Amino acid sequence: MIKKEGSFKYLEIKNISKNFGETFVLKNIHLDVFKGEFLCLLGPSGCGKTTLLRIISGLERQTNGDIVQDGLLISNSPTEKRDFGIVFQSYALFPNLNAKQNISYGLENKKINKKEIEKRTNNLLRLVGLEKYSDQFPSQLSGGQQQRVALARAMALSPGLLLLDEPLSALDAQVRSKLRNEIKLIQKKLNLTTIMVTHDQTEALSMADRVVVMERGHIAQIGTPFELYKNPITPFVADFIGKMNLLKGKYDKTNCVFYYLNNRFLISQNTEYSFLENCLLGIRPEDIEIIKFRKNIEKEENILRVKIKEITYLGTIFRLTVVLESKLEENIFVDVISNQVISNNLKIGDFIDIKFKKEKIKLFESNL
Amino acid sequence: MYFKKNFNKSFNILLLRILIIFVFILVSFFIIIPLLPLFLKSFSDNKNNFIGLENFINYIQNPSLTQSFINSLKVAITTTFFSVLIGFIYAYALTRTRLPLKKFFNTFSLFSLYIPPLAVAIGLIYIFGKQGLITQGFFGTIPGFDINLYGFNGIIIGEIFYCFPQALIILVSALNLSDQRLYEAAESLKASPLRKFLTITLPNIKYGLMNSFFICFILSFTDFGVPKVVGGNFNVLATDIYKQVVGQQNFAMGATISIYLLVPSILAFLIDKNFQKNEASLISGKSIPFKPRKNLIVDSIMFIFCSLILILVIGVFSSIVLASLIKIWPYDISLSLQNFRFSNVAGNGYEPYFNTVFMSIYTAIFGTIFVFFTAYLVEKFKPLKKIRMLIYFFSTLPIAIPGLVLGLSYILFFNKPSFSVPFLDFQIFNPFSLLYGTMGILVLANIIHFFTVCFISATTTLKQIDKEFEEVSESLKVPFYKTFLRITIPLSLPTILEIGSYYFVNSMITVSAIIFLYPAKIPVSSVSIVNMDDAGDTASAAAMSTLIVLTSLFVRLIYEFTSRNVSKKSSVWINPLET
Repeated sequence: MIKKEGSFKYLEIKNISKNFGETFVLKNIHLDVFKGEFLCLLGPSGCGKTTLLRIISGLERQTNGDIVQDGLLISNSPTEKRDFGIVFQSYALFPNLNAKQNISYGLENKKINKKEIEKRTNNLLRLVGLEKYSDQFPSQLSGGQQQRVALARAMALSPGLLLLDEPLSALDAQVRSKLRNEIKLIQKKLNLTTIMVTHDQTEALSMADRVVVMERGHIAQIGTPFELYKNPITPFVADFIGKMNLLKGKYDKTNCVFYYLNNRFLISQNTEYSFLENCLLGIRPEDIEIIKFRKNIEKEENILRVKIKEITYLGTIFRLTVVLESKLEENIFVDVISNQVISNNLKIGDFIDIKFKKEKIKLFESNL
Repeated sequence: MYFKKNFNKSFNILLLRILIIFVFILVSFFIIIPLLPLFLKSFSDNKNNFIGLENFINYIQNPSLTQSFINSLKVAITTTFFSVLIGFIYAYALTRTRLPLKKFFNTFSLFSLYIPPLAVAIGLIYIFGKQGLITQGFFGTIPGFDINLYGFNGIIIGEIFYCFPQALIILVSALNLSDQRLYEAAESLKASPLRKFLTITLPNIKYGLMNSFFICFILSFTDFGVPKVVGGNFNVLATDIYKQVVGQQNFAMGATISIYLLVPSILAFLIDKNFQKNEASLISGKSIPFKPRKNLIVDSIMFIFCSLILILVIGVFSSIVLASLIKIWPYDISLSLQNFRFSNVAGNGYEPYFNTVFMSIYTAIFGTIFVFFTAYLVEKFKPLKKIRMLIYFFSTLPIAIPGLVLGLSYILFFNKPSFSVPFLDFQIFNPFSLLYGTMGILVLANIIHFFTVCFISATTTLKQIDKEFEEVSESLKVPFYKTFLRITIPLSLPTILEIGSYYFVNSMITVSAIIFLYPAKIPVSSVSIVNMDDAGDTASAAAMSTLIVLTSLFVRLIYEFTSRNVSKKSSVWINPLET
């Protein structure tokens, strides 16, 4: 787990569980968030990530467990006594107040004089780049601008913690990527501890210092985006962060060989695999290469002869969907750079040989 | 160890809980608890001795009384059938055809909402009564035609007038929710018009249809005004209660008949509620509204149909106005304002009119505040879920409580200065008895009588306001009541005005809830219409009716004007993409 020099645990989530009647939404969640860190809760819908965020805010109450923020136990504090700002997916901007009034809504309730409120509101407007739009009502602003007003409003009371609940999912792709950078910049500038919920892995990978991958109410893995991509510890994480082919087979640990149907794959030695037997082989599409067609591949390891079922253009690369003649229903994805497809004149129905890079192969426990 | 943030409970949450419990106590005391003395009364004789089911047995053994029950059912079923049928065709014309002059037909169809059922009945007398325009062939200029107004026929016509706009409102909003794409898909699959109607239109409006059946049934089953004026010898439950209570001072039998009136209403209510529970909108937010195509035959038939209905509505209204202006119908048909003096009738002059106006203003103000606040507490907060659900249930109940039953239960409940605790020699002071004999009890009866419709419309509006506003406010440390005043109320203003005007208009025209309740020193106009009509002074009754209708229309005009300004101001808040 990486930890920045001099940073300390700002938020501690201890053994949090939540159930509605008999159904568990969250099960024994442990999580530390460091001061100034940008943390993403990532997972498919229904994994409990939004519930966890709402428990941190106090809008939802946990069934069990404790939350400590900045050294204070806040497990049972009401929302209004907690120190955070929140941006909802829908923004929830007050439609009858203009941008400026929305931002100053929380300030006006504090006993601060008018000048100070004015000054702080203007600073916030400048921070999110909306000085010119201060008199506009939410309906007169674009989606991205509304998002920025919501962000400024959430930061108005200078909270110690910023919570973002799928803040970008209502925006179109271009605005989204622009705002990703802006939010990240503001967050770093203010050194504001931030927790963001998202189901979009690209968003999580590009924004977060650390990502918490959640699956059915528990944490599947925590790590930096790179760690998660490089060393996923479960097939779920592997396939959720990026794409991974998962093939079910048998592992012979004495020879470090994995058998998939009649094919043999040599695996790099790894003590962690020593207890595996029936398991999954995982390899990312970009770690498979197309090799020259040979006469006799039966004796060679890590090579499959496959038929091209589909060719999808993804920009700089092509993704080939290929299948074994003996197992037509199992798709294997192979990413190749565009030139290779064009120069080899690959077409649907062609037979090609593919090779799994030995050092890139991972094995996972099979829970099927 | 960590410092413990030791805020036991926040002040706001505590305040919220207190408010919810307070509202729960109010709705219990105003809606449910007053029904208890009524039930008790129905099991007692007039000296308050418990006699078990004797009243009910007496009732069943009395053939003329049981006949009333059958009559009431007959009236309700016939009225419901025709009101929904006419309402449906009219609503269909407004929403699914290219009816010419649609706006005009839309506005004037709801005209009869502003005419008290009593006044409708009086209007009918001037058209179809013994000396009526049609019966006498327009003062003998053409051959007359007698429809035998007094009795079943008159009641049915009057009730249809009363119920048809209610069905229309529900069905128009049901038919307005449509999806052009479904019809296009059906067309591409070569479905016939009948098949489209049966497989797309009908399933989409089934909840609205059921609801309009329910509303029309209850209104016509329990209405007092129309049968009182044109019922003749055709007795119904509502007029029986009135006769027992006002004529014979037999409260026990009045209470017993009330139960016979209440039970079918509550049953209908429960059936409808159970049915609506399954409601799930088949039309998504992304649907494309239906755009009717031109169809000369259908459009012309609809035009003729709607015109006929409107001619009848306007005809009844004009005949009321005309009758109030004519000196002595039909002998001296010169115009005069003498009927508006109200000097020769039971005295009181304009006092009942002004009492009614003030009563309606108070009802509009206090009712709107109470309804909206109740709906807000029920809809927007999380604490005390079970209590909030009970408040919700209680709030939907008054629509099934007939006005006469409400009025009678209010007398029995509010005139008791104290309650005795059974088996103990102990009395509890009844603080609500202070309202008895004041304008307050009339206002309260009206607020509760029309509570459900207002409550539902407030709830619907509040549901559309993002619930995250409350959460954002909490995160910004702004107490809920500030957000209520600054955000929720401005956003709900159109609905609040609508509720206020609904309360005003209905309090102006209602008679059933207050006829038992009005204190002698506070006469009200709808009751004086009943009394004038009883005394044979139909022209003055028509004059009073005219005043009521004009006042209601005037207030409605003010409402339209204000709400137009409000919506102009708030249009900037509404996302142009969403409209």
